[in-house]
Amino acid sequence: MHPPSLQIMDISMPSDGPAAASLDASDTTLTPSPRVRRVRFYLTNEFGLVLLIIIFGAAFTFAVPRFLSHFNLFILGRTAAENIVIGFAMMVVVVTGGLDLSVGAIGVCAAMGGGWLMQVAGLPWPLAVIGGLLLGAALGFVNGWAVVRSGLHSFIITLASMSIFFGVMIFITRAQAFRSIPLSFASFAHIRYFGFISPLLLLAVVIMLALVYLYRLTALGREMLAAGARASAAELSGVRVKRVIILCHMLAGLLAGVAGLMLVARNDAAIPSMAGQLGQDWLLPAFLGPVLGGTLLSGGFVSPLGTLLGSFLLTLLTNGLLLLQIGQFWVEAVLGLLLLVAVLLDQARRSFIARRRMI
Amino acid sequence: MSRLTKLLGCVGALLFSGLAVAYADPSTKIALVPGGPHPYFASWAQAGADAKKDFNLGAADYKVPEQWQLADQNNLLESLVTQGYNGFLLFPGDPVGSVSTVQELTDSGAPVIALAGCLKDPSTASFCFGTDVYRSAYLGTQHLIAGMAGTKKRILHVTGFLVDPNTQLRINAVNQAAKEGGATVAETIADIDAPGPAEEKINAYLAAHANDIDGIISTAWVPSVVSANALRRIGTKRIKMVAIDHDKAVLQGVKDGYLLGTMLQNPYGQGYIGSYAIDKLRNGCKVNASAPWTKNALTARFIDSGTVFAGPEQVDNYLQSMQAITKTIFASFAKTYLICSK
Repeated sequence: MHPPSLQIMDISMPSDGPAAASLDASDTTLTPSPRVRRVRFYLTNEFGLVLLIIIFGAAFTFAVPRFLSHFNLFILGRTAAENIVIGFAMMVVVVTGGLDLSVGAIGVCAAMGGGWLMQVAGLPWPLAVIGGLLLGAALGFVNGWAVVRSGLHSFIITLASMSIFFGVMIFITRAQAFRSIPLSFASFAHIRYFGFISPLLLLAVVIMLALVYLYRLTALGREMLAAGARASAAELSGVRVKRVIILCHMLAGLLAGVAGLMLVARNDAAIPSMAGQLGQDWLLPAFLGPVLGGTLLSGGFVSPLGTLLGSFLLTLLTNGLLLLQIGQFWVEAVLGLLLLVAVLLDQARRSFIARRRMI
Repeated sequence: MSRLTKLLGCVGALLFSGLAVAYADPSTKIALVPGGPHPYFASWAQAGADAKKDFNLGAADYKVPEQWQLADQNNLLESLVTQGYNGFLLFPGDPVGSVSTVQELTDSGAPVIALAGCLKDPSTASFCFGTDVYRSAYLGTQHLIAGMAGTKKRILHVTGFLVDPNTQLRINAVNQAAKEGGATVAETIADIDAPGPAEEKINAYLAAHANDIDGIISTAWVPSVVSANALRRIGTKRIKMVAIDHDKAVLQGVKDGYLLGTMLQNPYGQGYIGSYAIDKLRNGCKVNASAPWTKNALTARFIDSGTVFAGPEQVDNYLQSMQAITKTIFASFAKTYLICSK
């Protein structure tokens, strides 16, 4: 067991998880040698993901002549942007040791709310977007509040809220889409910088930077990590854990709203079925990005860069498998397998680091 | 692929092979993309294969999204552009949500025809080619009402996915025909064009309310099959039924007297003629703005691919009926709907 203060202090270290985070940065006697540092760098999720992206990218470039065409790069970037933000939405709850199965339902609700504000209420799209995001955050608040008040695991609460949010949305909208989306808003998903860069991808990168700032440079971010690493210890050190958990769920709702509104721009319409029945189509990308990126399902450690790279790898593989024409019915199976392999490899990596006393 | 589909394909190929090889372009690569896996679209595969052979196309491949999800269809379409497909016959995953994707396809230089379901205007699709679902459902309900003479004319309507652009048209058509024919629609059960929900909801309804209805109109494939099987299981011929499409269970039900008949559609003709039209559009032909387009709730450029009622007397030779319709449409298609310079 580590003192809670160290947990909070070390979470800003570029480490391999809570085990690594248990070290006091000021403890010079345990400072790893340059060789160990190098090996540790090569064993990080981020390095592994960059390597995999390069390997798969090269393989697809070789196998599919038009893989690097501007059209495909643009599509790849735009789809990756959506998956990245979906991954962030799950990541910010996973960091507390919780789960949010309702990210898809919240995303669709926020999108439908934004669509309603644009089409029916006639608000200018920036205000409608803010309204949609606030709705997402409010639904996240409901999740967080229910979790801390009931004491139940967020898995149960969000499993229930997924159906409730989606069902209420379908009841209110009568499953009708909002299709009068202003062109100036929808164009964000169709503009191409330099012929192949989507503004949505740039937005995803900006969100990643904001999350890095939150977790590394703000007290709130450190409190979130501390609450996830060991809630009781964080409580003892003065962290208001319940408040922090509610804030994490609100942030998840906000990010799910961003992803939902991205899809509205992509489709030029807010469609109830755009994330599948109950928003379940988002669940695999929501888990895959953070898990591939090294975020611990038990909480306490987070890697926004890893989530971005993990989600990008997921999108790259989906795109490549479809282009190779072997993927249509196999993509989901391959992605599920990838999730399993990622978790097992991560476990093996941690064991290796621990055995070699590299922490 | 069913024997019926193969038979239809072979006969279709024989019928049309001599009609159109002019302007064939082996660089034309067409993808026929439904909204998701569904038996209705199975004939598109044979239609594409026959069109490839008959019109000397580079490809006319049937590509199915993994699920009935707009995102899956969008991902598939985008990957097909990268794979070099340069013409698309597309059942829209959503009448509006698919418009932006179609815009991207046409921006890449690929002509698009909305097949079996329409996009909402305005869109960059050349036109919509499919069953006039309103007319089909309307005529089917009229046949049902005629067959229910002497009863209270209470109808159960079972139909397809609510996200299908055609479903609301079908609901409106059945309601209108019922109103005009002095019948009442006791219940409309929608969103059941898949085996699981169809079995659950139709059987539950019949178990509880079989005595409260005198007829069933089905306007989607899977509910037709499930309802036909349910009536056979119950063993009643009191409840009259008109189905849609040509599943074996439906055709047998018509022959055995459990169904009054079925409204046939023409998916093979859609795929075959659609492929031909895409190739023409890629090779200099333009859409004839002053053609005799039909209007529907979604678009002002609609072409009916044909529909016909098949009762017990017609059910054995319904293929010939559809082939005759396809042949008629094909014979004058280019002249009527396209303007070609050469």
